[in-house]
Amino acid sequence: MSGVALARPGRRWPASLVVGGAVVGVIALLAILGPWIAPYPPEEFAVLDRLRPPSAAHWFGTDEFGRDVFSRVLAGAHYSLLMGFGATGLSLLVGVPLGMLAAFHRGWVEEAVMRGVDLLISIPPVLLGLLILATTDPGLGKTVAAVGLVYVPIMTRLSRAVALGLLAEDFVDAARARADGMVRILWSEILPNAWSPIIVETALRITFAILLGSALSFLGLGPQPPASEWGLMIAESRPFIEEAPWIGLMPGLCLCALLVAVNMVGEGLRDLLDPRMRGRGHG
Amino acid sequence: MAEQPLLDVRDLSLRYPGPRGAVRALEGVSLSLSRGRVMGLVGESGSGKSSLVMALLGLPGTGAVLDAASMQFDGLDLRQQAAALRGRRIGMVFQDPGSALNPAMTIGAQVAEPLVRHLRMSRQDALDRAAALLTEVGIARAESVVRAYPHQLSGGMKQRAVIATALACEPELLLLDEPTTALDVTVEAQILDLLDRLRRERGVGMLLVSHNLGIVDRLCDDLTVLYAGRVVEQGAAATLLAAPRHPYTRGLLAAVPRADRGRMGRLAPIPGGLPDLTRPDPGCNFRPRCAFALPSCAAPQALAPQDGRLVRCHRAEAVGLAPLPGVTGAPPPPPRRPSDAPLLIATELTKTFRLGRPGLALRGGRLALRRPAELRAVDDVSFHVARGEVLGLVGESGCGKSTLGRMVLRLLGADAGRLRFDGQPVTDRPAVEFRRRAQIVFQNPNSSLNPRQTVEQALRWPLVRFGLARGAAADREVDRLLELVRLPSSYRARYPHQMSGGEKQRIGIARALASRPDFVVCDEAVSALDVSVQAAVLNLLSDLRDELGLAYLFISHDIGVIAHLADRIAVMYRGAIVEIGTAEQVLSPAYHPYTEALLSAVPLVGSGGRAARRVRLTGDASAVPDGAGCRFAPRCPRRIGGVCDTVPPPVRQPAPGHRIACHLPLETLAAIPPALGEAA
Repeated sequence: MSGVALARPGRRWPASLVVGGAVVGVIALLAILGPWIAPYPPEEFAVLDRLRPPSAAHWFGTDEFGRDVFSRVLAGAHYSLLMGFGATGLSLLVGVPLGMLAAFHRGWVEEAVMRGVDLLISIPPVLLGLLILATTDPGLGKTVAAVGLVYVPIMTRLSRAVALGLLAEDFVDAARARADGMVRILWSEILPNAWSPIIVETALRITFAILLGSALSFLGLGPQPPASEWGLMIAESRPFIEEAPWIGLMPGLCLCALLVAVNMVGEGLRDLLDPRMRGRGHG
Repeated sequence: MAEQPLLDVRDLSLRYPGPRGAVRALEGVSLSLSRGRVMGLVGESGSGKSSLVMALLGLPGTGAVLDAASMQFDGLDLRQQAAALRGRRIGMVFQDPGSALNPAMTIGAQVAEPLVRHLRMSRQDALDRAAALLTEVGIARAESVVRAYPHQLSGGMKQRAVIATALACEPELLLLDEPTTALDVTVEAQILDLLDRLRRERGVGMLLVSHNLGIVDRLCDDLTVLYAGRVVEQGAAATLLAAPRHPYTRGLLAAVPRADRGRMGRLAPIPGGLPDLTRPDPGCNFRPRCAFALPSCAAPQALAPQDGRLVRCHRAEAVGLAPLPGVTGAPPPPPRRPSDAPLLIATELTKTFRLGRPGLALRGGRLALRRPAELRAVDDVSFHVARGEVLGLVGESGCGKSTLGRMVLRLLGADAGRLRFDGQPVTDRPAVEFRRRAQIVFQNPNSSLNPRQTVEQALRWPLVRFGLARGAAADREVDRLLELVRLPSSYRARYPHQMSGGEKQRIGIARALASRPDFVVCDEAVSALDVSVQAAVLNLLSDLRDELGLAYLFISHDIGVIAHLADRIAVMYRGAIVEIGTAEQVLSPAYHPYTEALLSAVPLVGSGGRAARRVRLTGDASAVPDGAGCRFAPRCPRRIGGVCDTVPPPVRQPAPGHRIACHLPLETLAAIPPALGEAA
């Protein structure tokens, strides 16, 4: 049966979910509290303190303008989080209804949606992001929208595949036999059974969204200087990579930690929600 | 009979340790089997039949704890040597031939594999031998089948190939786990004939696991009845089936609807379910479900000889002849006269499926538009169902009966034909009122309920949807529905995974009844259930018909079930109804030749080897007729000649309301002897 069992009380939480969730939680907390706990204003120049290595006064050192890297990393955390969660959220909002619609209607609706999606998927993601951002003014919102658009095809295909399997189940015929409409069938028969594979895919997808967002920023197509987006910070640190490696290393390590943690959450969710991945069999 | 038994098992126990304590799958099972004899193994699902087979093969599963006083095959200890013996001296055949064969290997390579592996034959010799084996199991043109892949064969052919593989190394023992359950009844009859021949000609001993007592009666010399891991009755098959002594064996027999008994009043389901195998009952573990249980049944009981068999019941003698409660000796109720006013009239319904999509293909060096192949699933079918009437629809898998069932509800659009319900035409997008009055119950209880909805949500929505009740009135209505399907109202909060198959099926029925329909399509509604549960659901369906005046289109491949419930029967073959009439008319001559074959293929309990006359069809329903003639002609044992292939058969009417589509003259059809046991 294709229905996926609900997380029932008493089930053990996978360790990767707990650890990953804790790290993501801490990073999110720091991003929110950033303005209050940052030791220095992130955009304040201090010409005397240029290119200082990490010390008690400047935990992550300072950059070429004497700005405190730790404060800047704190201030930049929200960009990565917004790009990751915002972009996947957007792709979810657009892709899932499209996929369900295609699965439900078959015929020309399906053809139109899926061929459109094929078109979108045939363009390399970075190129697509570049295309969107090159024609408009760069900015956080645009980056989120571009990254989200890149992941719409994946969400559409996934939710169509899941919905197709579920639509073949007898309980959907039972709903048709009582003249339930499309919205009702999709909302109360399909979606509750489809969300767990979709959630798992989403969680794993966030990693790529953060990475792609940072890549676009690195290329200068995200938030503009003096913003402290992590990808942008890495890009700006390139001239000083030998002289002051910490300027790029610190945001890079933070990005790594976030990516690994989000990925762990995704895998933990998969273990929790997807019974095929659970090694216990007999269920 | 000083001969050493081929298989000798003493006190076999099998436990699977788990987090909630060990599951005791088998407890002290003993059996012995001689060469050329067939031992049947019956019991409900979960009784340990398959566990026993796997234990004998030395494959009890990881973590299993096996314990036996003796486990010998021809003097060899199976506990040590099972791995060396299986596939070589012990062959096995499993239920689903589709998953037993490797889809990426040719049939020949798979049959030859054990020959190469165990007998160290050369590849070419092995392939030659494989062709000979396939011929032996009744496959025509074996030389070409050797090169075929599994998907190119029908289910019956695949199962023959699996049997050929099992026979490759000339085993002395065959373990058969539900070998015909996945097959159609006419194909099942062919396979049973084959097994019977192997037993007689080769002296192969067989252990046959089956839930179908008719098959057991047809093939087995001895019978072991398992209940929750314990043998409850063991002895000669004929003795046990003719006069069972253990209340469980009696219950199993009483629960089976029988084609040769026609409309019995009620079946006798066995109440309750299997006990918790993690907490073994030292006393009789059937006690909670037994109608004859006394406090003294809590004492441990031994398998003791009685009336020429072994029985594990201290009261067997005392209650052996007492009637089972629930089986009323009363004659069946007088046949109700369903009103003649038709409720549903289907006229000339036709449905064609396109296989694949149109495309371009190279043909003779030229690019041409390739039209997709077409399958006429339902072809020009007309029938009616009267108010309060049960129309049974029988036929083999793929004959279009489920498609037809969905078409009369307009869940599947028809390509042609008309549908009238209660005097009103029903269009492709039917009115909500039609949806309310015509409902459906599905085969698979796991697929028919939304796993994320509680029973209450599932039952409440149709009430709200059709504006029948809301608020507190809907609450009362949900309770009433649960009561209707004999479930306590505490079930409202349950999710499907918290219920057994039979309970889920009842919820499926309750949901269909929520809108107070007049007409329900039951699509194999009891086929996925164990006999005891099946009996309960069948009783429920017939009670509901009597209480609520429901009409059913009852689709089933099981002629016993159809004969038990239906007022009228329609027989379908390859998309067309070949015979339709009242149950009495269809189950007795005059027959359509296909009906005759179908009925004579049904293995019946109590007919044993005595079944006087068997009509055997060759091939299966995938045999495609060449011309516009009768679609049954390629398989028909009574084919007259060319006219059958070229001219569509005329409709003959032996009696009012009884229609047979056949070229044979009426006198010939009427002269066909009864095909269904003595009762017909």
